[in-house]
Amino acid sequence: MVLKILNDWFKGSNKFERLWLLAKIEFKLRYYENKLGLLWALLKPLLDIIVYYIAFKVILKNDIPAFASFLFIGLIIWNFFLESTTGTIQILSVKKYLYEYSNMNKLEIYVSTLLSNSIGFFFNFVMFLLFYNIFEKASTGLSFYNVWIIAVFVNLFVLSLGMSLILSTLYILAKDINQIWTVFTSFLFFLSPIFYKLSTFKSALPHFDYANPIAGIIINARRIMMEQSPPDFRLLIFDYGYAIVLLTIGLIFLNKLGSRAAEKL
Amino acid sequence: MENVIAITAKDISKTFHISEDSHNTVKHRLFNLFNPPTRKDVQALKLTSLEIQKGECIGLIGRNGSGKTTLTKVLAGVYPTDTGYVKINGSTMLMNLGVGMSHELTARENIYVSGSVLGLKIKEVDQLFDEIVEFAEIQDFVDTKVKFFSSGMMARLAFSIAVKAGADIMFLDEIFSVGDMKFQEKAVKVFEGSWIQGRTVILVSHGMGVIEKYCNRSVFMKNGQIEFFGDTGKAIEYYTMDNQ
Repeated sequence: MVLKILNDWFKGSNKFERLWLLAKIEFKLRYYENKLGLLWALLKPLLDIIVYYIAFKVILKNDIPAFASFLFIGLIIWNFFLESTTGTIQILSVKKYLYEYSNMNKLEIYVSTLLSNSIGFFFNFVMFLLFYNIFEKASTGLSFYNVWIIAVFVNLFVLSLGMSLILSTLYILAKDINQIWTVFTSFLFFLSPIFYKLSTFKSALPHFDYANPIAGIIINARRIMMEQSPPDFRLLIFDYGYAIVLLTIGLIFLNKLGSRAAEKL
Repeated sequence: MENVIAITAKDISKTFHISEDSHNTVKHRLFNLFNPPTRKDVQALKLTSLEIQKGECIGLIGRNGSGKTTLTKVLAGVYPTDTGYVKINGSTMLMNLGVGMSHELTARENIYVSGSVLGLKIKEVDQLFDEIVEFAEIQDFVDTKVKFFSSGMMARLAFSIAVKAGADIMFLDEIFSVGDMKFQEKAVKVFEGSWIQGRTVILVSHGMGVIEKYCNRSVFMKNGQIEFFGDTGKAIEYYTMDNQ
């Protein structure tokens, strides 16, 4: 099924153009609507970092080196995941106008929305790079291992897409999936090593970095970007496994439940 | 072009399950595990098969509630069919009043999105853009959000996109009631011109004049059943009889 869809995409030469067009419009809708515009996209992670920095460094006095950068990379990954899952639960309802009157492939709606989030992630990531290499005193600088971030991001993208497909198709059956997912993500937020020291996290919750795919992605991103080391390959393979399984379930859900969206929503 | 099939529908049917109380939250489902909702089944489309050739203009007539809209939506691939299958050869577009546009987007963005969904490249939309705007008579509102449009403007824009961009297979649901008399005249002119040639059109209308004029074959529906599919004159006879 996946192969058929991919093949379908490559054949139709305007598909990529369309995805990019939809992504751009989505991005514009999100950030250019208010006066502060794009500044919001950049400001939000900075404000988040300030809050957590005060809580965990100033008040709780932890001893993680380069803590602001540590938070920065963790938070932009987490925010991408959150925006791409919680933010897309109602996507089939909001974007109904795209599939209600034509036989457009619904998967394109998801991919374009996640692409739009990726643009935001890209801006944040550039900011992280600038911050880490210019302002961070404990910075270790750039290294060739940084390139691995592409593999980690693809992992994050596929994972978020899978989860987004599952949640938004379940939304057709149960409108309160939104509330359930919100509780679940706040749980997940505190069970990911976003502001904990990795050794503390690992000793408190042994093997949990393998159970929580977001934890693995954040751990690997920090290894690549801040510790001048290759990713933990066992963890990376595990997380790709999670992402592919979730995407497969998501595509099955889209086929079974999503096809009824036009009449149910 | 002859004998190329645009849509094949084999043994399709559609039943809507309408439940009276809303069992659409997890909470509701849990609390009412042993108290299933009272469901009402509405058979909107009874078992049927049909085949539409490429380039044909098919009329679709029947009284209100006879299943015309359900049939078009199933054939367009918007609704999944309960039984059998529908094979669609190309992109489809359903058109009725207030068609597929996002109210949050401007007219310009909607033209690009719709054009792209209909299978055009951005460059092709660039070329058509002025024509569409001019035809819709909305030159002064290109960068206005569609939600501020009057219903007439919206319908005109939708009509213009459909006419200029157009999908391979078009389902037109009562489109000749769009706009004022001048616009309707223009619309009919386009329709009579080269537009309809080489395109597959399914025309839904209560205006028999329109059906008679453009369609060689027509479908007459009654109570979710295709009663007749063939010569338009005959179909209209059935329809007039049904209305008596």
